[in-house]
Parts: sequence; C-alpha cells; structure tokens
Amino acid sequence: MDALLASAGPLPTKKQNYKGKQSSTYTKKSGPTSHQTIPRADGTSIDPSLHSILSSTRIPAGFHQSNLASGSGSTPIKPDVSIGRIQDKKLRSKLARQDITHKQAKLDRQDVNEWLNKAISGDKGGIEVDEELGEKTWRVKQSEISDSVSVGSKGKKFDLKFEGMGSYKVDYTRNGRHLAIASSKGHVATFDWQAGKLHSEIQLKESIRDIKFLHSQDFYAVAQKKYVFIYDQNGVELHKLKQHIDPTHMEFLPYHYLLATVGHAGYLKYHDTSTGVMLTQIPSHLGSPHSMAQNPHSAIIHLGHANGTMTLWSPNMTTPHVKLLAHRGPVNGIAVDPSETSAGRYVATSGMDGVVKIWDGRMWGKEVRSWHVRNQVTTLGYSGMGMLSVGGKSGVTVYRDLHSGNIQHTPTPYLTLPLPSLTASSVKFCPFDDLLCVGHEKGISSLLVPGSGEPNFDSNEADLYETYSRKRERDVRGLLEKIRPELITLDTDFLGHINESRGGETFEERNSRSYRQLGRLERLRMDGKADEPQNQLEDEDEEGEGEGGEGEATQKEKVKRKMKGKGGSTSRYLRKKQKKNIVDNSLLAMKAKVAAQKKAEDTRRKIANGEIVKETGALARFA
Amino acid sequence: MISRSLDDHMPSSSTSPHPLQRNLAPHLHPFQKPREYARALTAVKMDRMFAKPFVDALGGHQDGVYCLGKDSRRVGVVAGGGGDGEVIVHSLTLRRPLLKIPHAHKGMVGGICWTSESHDGQRGMITAGKLDGTIKIWRSEAFAPGIRDKELFQGSEFASGFGSAGHQQHLDQAGAIGENGLDMDVDFDEEEEGGGLNLDFAKRDKLGENLEPKMVYTNKNGLNGIDHHRTDSVFATASNTVQIWDENRSAALSNLQFGSSLETVNQVKFNQSETNVLASVGNDRTMCLYDIRTGKAERRIVMQFVSNDISWCPTLPTTMLLASEDHNLYTFDIRNLNSPSQIYKGHVGGVMGCDWSPTGEEFVSGSYDRTVRLWNRESGKSRDVYHTKRMQRVFDVTYTPTADFVLSASDDGNVRIWKSNASKKLGVVSSKERQAIEHRQKLVERYSAEKGVRSIKDRRHVPQSIHNATKLKRDMIESRKVKEDRRREHSRKGREKPKAERKKAVIVEQK
Repeated sequence: MDALLASAGPLPTKKQNYKGKQSSTYTKKSGPTSHQTIPRADGTSIDPSLHSILSSTRIPAGFHQSNLASGSGSTPIKPDVSIGRIQDKKLRSKLARQDITHKQAKLDRQDVNEWLNKAISGDKGGIEVDEELGEKTWRVKQSEISDSVSVGSKGKKFDLKFEGMGSYKVDYTRNGRHLAIASSKGHVATFDWQAGKLHSEIQLKESIRDIKFLHSQDFYAVAQKKYVFIYDQNGVELHKLKQHIDPTHMEFLPYHYLLATVGHAGYLKYHDTSTGVMLTQIPSHLGSPHSMAQNPHSAIIHLGHANGTMTLWSPNMTTPHVKLLAHRGPVNGIAVDPSETSAGRYVATSGMDGVVKIWDGRMWGKEVRSWHVRNQVTTLGYSGMGMLSVGGKSGVTVYRDLHSGNIQHTPTPYLTLPLPSLTASSVKFCPFDDLLCVGHEKGISSLLVPGSGEPNFDSNEADLYETYSRKRERDVRGLLEKIRPELITLDTDFLGHINESRGGETFEERNSRSYRQLGRLERLRMDGKADEPQNQLEDEDEEGEGEGGEGEATQKEKVKRKMKGKGGSTSRYLRKKQKKNIVDNSLLAMKAKVAAQKKAEDTRRKIANGEIVKETGALARFA
Repeated sequence: MISRSLDDHMPSSSTSPHPLQRNLAPHLHPFQKPREYARALTAVKMDRMFAKPFVDALGGHQDGVYCLGKDSRRVGVVAGGGGDGEVIVHSLTLRRPLLKIPHAHKGMVGGICWTSESHDGQRGMITAGKLDGTIKIWRSEAFAPGIRDKELFQGSEFASGFGSAGHQQHLDQAGAIGENGLDMDVDFDEEEEGGGLNLDFAKRDKLGENLEPKMVYTNKNGLNGIDHHRTDSVFATASNTVQIWDENRSAALSNLQFGSSLETVNQVKFNQSETNVLASVGNDRTMCLYDIRTGKAERRIVMQFVSNDISWCPTLPTTMLLASEDHNLYTFDIRNLNSPSQIYKGHVGGVMGCDWSPTGEEFVSGSYDRTVRLWNRESGKSRDVYHTKRMQRVFDVTYTPTADFVLSASDDGNVRIWKSNASKKLGVVSSKERQAIEHRQKLVERYSAEKGVRSIKDRRHVPQSIHNATKLKRDMIESRKVKEDRRREHSRKGREKPKAERKKAVIVEQK
C-alpha cells in the first residue's frame, strides 16, 4: 500500500557513478518493478519510461526568453496581478498562461510592426518642405508632386471629364482596386482604375443620389430616383429594392452584409444583402438627412440632420444611441477616422454654418477641435492614415495630425487642391494608396496626396492583388463569418463580458429567493468573495499607478429597484385629472381616499418605529 | 508615395502560391471578436452536425449481455458474457463473433477477464459463473486470429489446438496492442471472396461447442466479478469474500476480507501500476483496499449507497472511480478517503459499469437508465450521452485500448461499439484538416462560456423518459435543498451548518 502511495509521485532519477566509471560489481536486480520492459519481435526490448523526456532536460540557454535577440523578452512576462487572487489552482494557472500568451502575442505584433511594416525612410511618407525658408506644404501644387514622383505613381493622377452629366459620386471597393462613379443625371460606371479596365457603364436616365459597392466589385447598389437597385459587374440590373423608397444616402456594412439606406422620409432601413431580407426600418423622426457615414470599427451608422443634430444608430435600437447637437445648421458632412491611432474613435462633422468639428467617440460632450472654413463645405473624407479632406466650393483642403499639436488653433492645411468654378460633391481616399478621388460637376479627378494611404495591407482582409480563386474563397469565407446584426454595439468590446443584471425582477422577488437560488455572482457577493472592480482599483493604487481620486470617482453600478405600487392606476388617474386642472367630486373623493391611505401608512410606520404608541381600547378605531 | 512592385505581390510562376502580405495591426482587422464568435458558432454547429457516435451493434447473444471482458493487450477483441451462460468472443474489426461458447456456465456469467501471458501459444480467457460458482479458463487459438499466418489458417483445422507452438508464442507476444490487425483483415476478406463464409460459421460454432475448459475451479458461492493481475498468473474473484487464485493451482491462494465482516462483494479490480493492490466494492455500501502480498485488507470506507463497479485510473495510480447506485460516480484519491475528489452527476438510474480511458483523462459509464455517458476527469458534468431506441439497460461498459471506441453491453443482447468522440473523423486526417479541426476546437473552448455557443455545445437530445426523470430529479433535489435552507434560516445560528456535497458521500473510513 505504501509503495502505491509512493509511486504516485515522480520517480526518483537513478544515481550515476560520479566519475563516470562503471562499477563492475553492480548488477541490476531483476525484481519486480512498476515499469516493465516490453520484448519486441526482433529480439530487442524497450523500456518505455526511458523514452519519455527526462526530468533533467532543459531548454538550451540560447533559447531562453531573456537571451533572445529581440530583447522583448528581456524581462519575463508576468501574468496580471489580479489573477493571483483566484483561489482555484487549476483555473489560476490556466488564466495566467492565457494572459502570458496574450501579452507575448502583443509584443510579437509590435515587433512585426516595428521591423517589417514600418516605412523605410521618413516618418509617415508625407511631403517635407523647408519650413525655415517659409515653404509650406499647402503651396505645393499637383503638377509639382507629379513631376517629382515615379512614373508609376504619376499614372495614378487622372481626370475623367464628363460634361453636362451633373455632379458625380464615387466609391472604392475595400481593397481600393475598383472605383464606381455615378452622376446625378444617370451615368454609372465601374472600373478597375489600376488596370484601366471598364467593368460596366450604363445610362439610367433618371436622377441618382448615391452609389455603393457591396461586399466585392461584383455587385453595387445605386440609389435612384424612386428605389435602390442592385447591379452586377456587367451592369445588369439584379434587384429592385422596393422597400427603400426615395433613397438619398447609402452605406454598406461589409462584415454584416447589411445595406443601410436612408431616404427623404427619414427612415433608416437595414437590408440583409446575403439573404435579401429587410432587417429593420427605424424612423429617425428628424426629416430628410443631409449626410450619412458608417463607423468601420463598430458598424454604427451616423446620420446628420437638417436641424444640426447628428444621431448614431444600430439596427438593435429604435432610438439613437447618441444624439448630439453638432452644428448651428444642417450637418452636411460626416467622416469617421479609421486610422491606427483613432480606430473609429474620432468623427469629423461639417455644417452649413461653415464650421468643421472633430469629435471623440469616448466623450461626446464637447468637440475636440473646431475651426471655420471659408468655402462652403459639402463633404468630408478620412484617409487610412488619418488625413481629413474637406471638400467644398472651388476645391478640396486636406489636413493632417488633427488630434495632436495645438488643438486650440485653426489647423494649417496639408494640401490644397483647387477645383476652379467647381464644387466637390464627393471625396473619397483610396484605401491603401496615396490618392484622393473627388467627384464634381465635370466628372471625377484622382489626385495625389502623399502620405495619406495605409501602406501595409493585409491580404486576408483586403487583397490588392486578389486573384479570381482568392476572391471566390473570400466570398465564401465572408458569408460563413457573417456577423449577426445583434452584435452591432456602440461598445465594440461588449462581447464576452458578464451581464450582471437579471431584468424583470422586483426587489421583493429578488429578496425572497433562497441562497441556493441566487446566481453565482450574487452568492459570491453575499460571501464577500466577489471579484468587484473596486478591488481592482485598490490593487492599482497599491502599485502606485492609479490616481488617488479615481477610486471614489467611479460610480457604483446602479441596481434598478423596480417597486411594486408605483405608477398604479390610482396615482395615474390623479395625475391625469390634475393635469387637466378640473376639480370635480370624483377627484376630491379620490384625493381624500389617497390622503387617508397615506395617513394610515404613516401611523403604521411610526408605530413600527416606536415613535408613537398604538392606541388600544374601544376608541382606538376613531383615532 | 506608395509604390508597389508586382514582383512582390504576384506569384513567381504559375504553379507557385499567391504571396500573402500580413499586417496584424488591429485597426486593419475590425470586429475581431464578433467574427471570431461567428466562427466559433459555426465550429460548434459543425461539431454537432458530425456527431454520429454509433458504429455498430455486435449481436449473437441469446440473452442479455451482462459483462464484458476486454483484452488489454489486443485491440480488436472483446468477450461478452450472457445471461444464459453463453460467452462470445467478438472481433471488433470484423464485427462478428470469433468464437461462441454456448454453455460456458450454468446461469448467468459473472465476469470475464483475460490472462496476462500466453500459455502454450494460446490466449487464455477466464470466465466466472454468477450462479454456478465455477471459474473456467479457456484457451484456444481462435481467440487470436491475427497471429496465425495464411497457409496455416487455410491448411489446418480451425480448432486444431496446437499448431507450431514456437511460432505461435513469438507472434502472441508481439501481438501486444494489435500489431497484426491489418493482416487479419486481409486474410478474412480474401476468405470471404472465396465464399467460405458459411463454412467458417459452421466450423466456428462447432469449435465453440466442443471447446473444453483447460481448468475449472469450483467455489461454494456465486461469483460477481473477476479481475486478472497485470503481469503475474494470479487473478481475484468477488463472491462473499475476495479470493485470490493462481492459474496453476486448483485451490484459492487466499481469502481476503475486512475484519470478520461477511458481505457480498460486487466487483474487484487490480491496480494497474502497483499491481499487488486491489480494491473491491461490496453490498454493505463499502469500498475496501487489499494488498495481496500481506494478504490483508488495508482500509475500508462505508458510503451512503452501494457501488456497482470500480475502476483504477491507468495513469494516476492513486485514483479510483466508483459507479454508485445513487446515480452518481465518484473518484477517490486513496490518500484521502474521507471524501471523493469529484462527484459526477448526470445519470438518472443506478450506474452499472464504468471504465477509464487509457489516457486516464476521461472515462465512460453505463447506467440502468439505458444511456452511456462520457466524462472528463476534471468536470462533474458529462461530456456526452449516448443512447439508441433499441438499447436497453446497460450493464457494462469499456473503453478499447486505443481510446477511439467505447463498448457497451446491454440487456437487449448486443454489444455496441460507439466512438469515444462523437464527431471525430475516423480514418486518415491530413495535417491541414487536423489544423482546422484543432482551430475549431480551440474556438469552441474559448467561447464555450457564451450562451449561444454553450447552448449548442451542451444540448443533447435524450429520450423523453430520461428528460422527464432528469427534470423531476432536479426539482426534487432543488426543493429539498431550499427546504434545508429555510430550516436553517429559522433555527438557531450555527446549529445546522450546511454540509458540503462531497463530505456527505462517505459515512465512515475504517482502518
């Protein structure tokens, strides 16, 4: 029995002769051992325990984390302090391992970004001028830029001239390879602008208000005079979306396969393009919108309205997530910053009042920055590196580094792109390239804006050199990984967190539950073992990192106390009557009844508290 | 200005793969979590879609099958003991009986085990009668068809008894963990093509009828269980005491019992690592540990309910598993017998049999409620539940030595083969496919706490009767617990302390 207990532990390693000599007198006894050798057919025998990894085996010192050339592992990665508090040993070690893996992955990613993805020379690849000599970047003309860049880049600057077709709207596919243009008088064309290959060109002979590519260059949606139509790559009409009446703006959410449109009536409509089912239509109650944009990181739709408000929508709520008064006039341009520093946090709006404002999505209370522009702004666009283009009458202005530096002052433009006697109706930066496409009354112009595009693309997300087979693969994978519309939330980190509140319960119901019937978190809280966020703050204070006042400042999460008896029929009746200000007998009677009830309740409470003594005896009933 | 060269982004030749450029910066990968979640949801759905655990039913028994004998040295063979005393040796690869012994015992077969070493070139199978109290050792070449070569098989009589003994011995030892299984398949397939199938069946039946046991032991009392020592030629039986027998002697080596207590012992099992230690479960709700070197009972615990079966973990020498009549299974670390180290709840009938997987990470249990459940050692909830319309009460279960399959013996006279992992693909898996499978598993594991994934992952369709019984049982336990809570609330403080579930299982530990 004791032998069994001993064998549960690790077997001790065999002692070796110290000087390496074999003592000839020692012979192994062939007594019973727990590990038996297995004789094989070819006459040899193997001891299975010898073939496992020895307990004394070590990783060579060169492979130790601290000795790696990267230096990133010079200090060993430690798990979060809060994990140490977990009682369960197995869970603790599992979570600690996970935490270390995450941190290691983060470091690795940083290394990759630093070593592989960084621009070879210079900081961000923009125009550099000699500031001391009074040179300004915004004085640099397009012709000067195209003279100094390579032949390949020079070819990217082009103009397509269409006279008398109305103003043009433009849209790029996600990889920036294909371009769709639509004039307000019915001319639609899609083409691969790099190869110069035209996919389709159609004349619809009715007014067009917007054009958007769907998940790939194969399909595009056009907001026409009455309805939204979907065309394929060859310009063949595939669908007429009859539910989208009188559309003015469209957005396509590529990961959710949702086409969001809004029309003159002010209804925001979500249409699932993979199944063809209308998901929801939400009345904005704010009339015909003047602008629309999507946040590419949270799939929230931004609408700009005529009364100067901007509203944020998702298909899951009938009311806007956020509604803010952005301008003193109609909001006619919205753009969301997709760049690395912002990741969907910063939003730019422009209004008819001639002001451009930058908002921070973490705090909508006040704009981060605002400035006046002289020309009448009509449209905004953000580039992959965070440059903002402001398009308006007679030209486009491009700004950069808007979130840093002195944010009180009017920012200096990075580039000015004049369009004499024209108004920019649509500006779009080409993804993964240094180009800005401007749609105006005389066609479109593709202009060079050095340093605006994200240079390092990811082939698995948006492949610039996508082959036919890879596109096919992406189509199928995209559909398989289609995100459900319920997961569109303002807080993108929402998924995977614990929902604490258990709705629809009154205070009494919650209190009457036995200890056993409580949820796990409630039980832990009762035992004082819950892992509350306050504890975490205290820990941070101990480390000397957290600010002193932060602990008190964080508000406790309010538990909603739904009380029985509030908003009952009697009080509702009284409220209604009093609103009308009509005093009649029934109201007086009701008032008296309520007053008596209140008084009785009051005395009962006082007796219970011991403030007054309960009257007893025969006359007590008249008290 | 960005300028890209086509040389970097286009394949160098028509056959080379398309070059990929990666940028792991998070702003280029929006909706990371929701997309991963969508992938996890697809993965868990695929897992359930491909869950087809039932492989085959091995018939041939006239009565129900009440015990299984797994030969831990060979993969493809299992013996089933019937209620009418018939013993059938099944081949799992051929899915048909290798040998039928119609009247092995009078009345029910209590237990079957296999000898540890080959003897005269023949595998030995030991069977014990539940009613007639006899133990019989059977030896035949037919138990090990893989170890005969082709000409021998075709030339000699099936029941020849002794072929070339030296050759046989050599093969028998090498045959540990099914090395010649493939040859066997080929042999039989060719034979089937020749149309000798009927002849084969007739020969087999005749062989079974004429087969005589090499050794017969008699005991006064019926035998409920039997287990063989891992290496030595010693085996133990369970009757009203635990008896140790030698294969070469006619009388019992020793009788083991705890003190002077007399009880019916239900099952006895040898430890796999410390091979001289054995454990038994008895009708007095006891579990007792013995050492055959000292010939004494070492320790005993008395539990709340009687246990039907016992199994030692093959990788953790101190861990044992008890299948209890109270619908639960318990694992004990024998260093601490005060309380079980884990309680496994899920069955709604008494658990009749249990067996560890060879890895020691998982085990299987069969119950009187007509289901087979699979468990992880570390979690108290079952990983999976298997049932079919035709499977009746399960009396014994076992893992195959490769851990790929699970066998169940039930009342309806069939031995059923199940996959131990319901959705696992049988056969060769390419490395690419394996990577995808592992990726999916990891995703499911990561999001298994989320409701949408969890509900699909944990959802099992069970027969209406079991569903209802589970619900009823849950309600009963719940209300009992709530009542206890309320009673505690209204009694003096500290008088009625709640007792942990694990502490309730063991009543007393005796030394």
